[in-house]
Amino acid sequence: MAKRANKQVNLFYCAECEELARKVADHSDAIQLRTISWRNFDDGFPNLFINNAHDIRGQHVAFLASFSSPGVIFEQISAIFALPKLFIASFTLVLPFFPTGSFERVEEEGDVATAFTMARILSMIPKSRGGPTSVVIYDIHALQERFYFGDDVLPCFETGIPLLLQRLHKLPDAENITIAFPDDGAWKRFHKLLLHFPMVVCAKVREGDKRIVRIKEGNPEGRHVVIVDDLVQSGGTLIECQKVLAAHGAGKVSAYVTHGVFPNKSWERFLHKGSEYQFAHFWITDSCPVTVKAITDKPPFEVLSLAGSIADALQI
Amino acid sequence: MPMPMPMGVASAVSSSDLFKSHPDNLGRPHQPEAAAVSLVFHPKSNHLRTVSQHSFRRRPPRNVDGWIGSELRMSLETRNGPSSADRGEGLHRIPGSPPLMAASPAVVSSIALPHERSKKSVCLFFCEEMRELAERVALAGDSIELRSITWRTFEDGFPNLFISYAQGIRGQHVAFLASFSSPAVIFEQLSVIYALPRLFISSFTLVLPFFPTGSYERMEDEGDVATAFTLARILSNIPISRGGPTSLVIFDIHALQERFYFGDSVLPCFESGVPLLMNRLQQLPDSDNISIAFPDDGAWKRFHKLLHHFPMIICNKVREGDQRIVRLKEGDPRGRHVVIVDDLVQSGGTLIECQKVLAAHGADRISAYVTHGIFPNRSWERFKHDNGAGPNNGFNYFWITDSCPLTVREVKNRAPFEILSLSVQIASALQI
Repeated sequence: MAKRANKQVNLFYCAECEELARKVADHSDAIQLRTISWRNFDDGFPNLFINNAHDIRGQHVAFLASFSSPGVIFEQISAIFALPKLFIASFTLVLPFFPTGSFERVEEEGDVATAFTMARILSMIPKSRGGPTSVVIYDIHALQERFYFGDDVLPCFETGIPLLLQRLHKLPDAENITIAFPDDGAWKRFHKLLLHFPMVVCAKVREGDKRIVRIKEGNPEGRHVVIVDDLVQSGGTLIECQKVLAAHGAGKVSAYVTHGVFPNKSWERFLHKGSEYQFAHFWITDSCPVTVKAITDKPPFEVLSLAGSIADALQI
Repeated sequence: MPMPMPMGVASAVSSSDLFKSHPDNLGRPHQPEAAAVSLVFHPKSNHLRTVSQHSFRRRPPRNVDGWIGSELRMSLETRNGPSSADRGEGLHRIPGSPPLMAASPAVVSSIALPHERSKKSVCLFFCEEMRELAERVALAGDSIELRSITWRTFEDGFPNLFISYAQGIRGQHVAFLASFSSPAVIFEQLSVIYALPRLFISSFTLVLPFFPTGSYERMEDEGDVATAFTLARILSNIPISRGGPTSLVIFDIHALQERFYFGDSVLPCFESGVPLLMNRLQQLPDSDNISIAFPDDGAWKRFHKLLHHFPMIICNKVREGDQRIVRLKEGDPRGRHVVIVDDLVQSGGTLIECQKVLAAHGADRISAYVTHGIFPNRSWERFKHDNGAGPNNGFNYFWITDSCPLTVREVKNRAPFEILSLSVQIASALQI
């Protein structure tokens, strides 16, 4: 593989991403952290200043964003729209978690697809001298969402699964691992990256009024089963899967999700209470920094950092 | 009690035609003898005083909740007996109930638009904080129908929205009344604004009475981020509907050059709330003793043409050592009822400084008008009523429009505040 010289990249970031940004910069000498002053006017609207704006002329620039709630979108978008116009050489937006995608089911005319709204806003990012902005997203919820973006941006879809693979190989029972998918959607998204493991696929079936989780294919008996999905919200799906897997003789159950969304502290249901627990390990990445702060050092949670993967993506 | 007939219309005012003042309620029991001035005044004429002398006196209807609006329906009501306001119902009617009254042909023709285009029937959607203003707009125009949206959130805080009866708006003119009172409410409204034009409607109008973020924009250093431009960009990307580019109605945009921030896919339509002020000033007992004061040259530039028949005073900020103080630049407030006019108010510091200077130079009483009462952090609390005790004790009146609904809720029954409603102007803008 031809080795291209490393691009020097100036990395700006939103306040909640500071920790991840530092880790990314630690991974490579070619990445330098830059700052934005994030203040508010009295009326609540942002009062932003990009420090050292002259110094980034002719440089590659990136912004690490996190849209953890609608309230923080506008200030970050203001910075994202402003940076490309400062005579920089290229612009990359790293948005590890693309929100709103998980609930999108436009079933009726009248349903408003907020994922499309967000994609539209990102597609408006002005071009810089380097052409269209690259937008790096990890494990986007619905694969078709890639088509929501206009031609003025270059979406770059990455995945956190390699981090899981690395982690699994270090486990003492690495030989005894089976991967389970909570539904066909997860299987479609991830099975190719995990081919060398035996697999179990679950499904939700209707029994009268209820929807219950069943095992559709595979056998968890005696295995350390790792449930894999792109994200977790309330955790209900994972808990149902764990029960079914345990009922079918799984030795241990763990979970991996790229995005630990966990609204309203729903991660609390997974904490180990003394020797009582359902999940041996629960791996999430640092795509959702607000959650990461809350669950650090709380078993079964372990954070797998996207920093190395992001540092590589900035070299594209 | 016999009701006087409203005067016929002489001519229309500027771009917004429907400015007929009406015998109206001041919401202030100690001033029952307000002159009812029914007129439409021509800004270039000098016969305002003459007209006001022919005004008819009428006991104002009681307590409409501190509101004053140049509502057509209110003036029409007077012909047919006690208004709903007299019955204590006020202007907060539920859409869908029967119309307040049927206008007589004579009155209707006198308030018709000068050029007779057939009226567009408009479906008006709105964000929750604008519900009250939306209801008024629907009352002010007889071909405007309110529509609803279900505004919920998912657990993760992101919006879960549903446009009711979406198929029913196909082929219709549609509008959305928005309010970006804080960054947090922008995304959900934007989702609706981007979705509506694609539902096979015949045209789309976005009414955003107050365009925020504009007031601090001073790109002084490379590195300053112009958030007004961000918002203009976001609005410029509203998808086009079958009716072409979206019309974007904004009142008293802060910096005139901001009109150039918008791309060609939207048609900005810049309106002003000042005609409402002019209407209101004509109703005051001391309407011939009013002078208009501008807190700076910027305000003068923006508004003097709409108010040129009043004597004017201009203030400005000068540096004295480290301090910036307000000085009188031109005009004489002695003995006058001075009305300070500006587009918006934030902390109120500027207005208070102007008040001090004007009082020091002998103003008899001082009032203020701003189109947008932003008042972050309850800064409206600094504005006390003068209680007839002179300009050093406070303000005689403080008029704001209903462009900032969160403030309206706080101040609507508190002297010296009075709300002038944009509903009639919005209703007519929807007919463009």
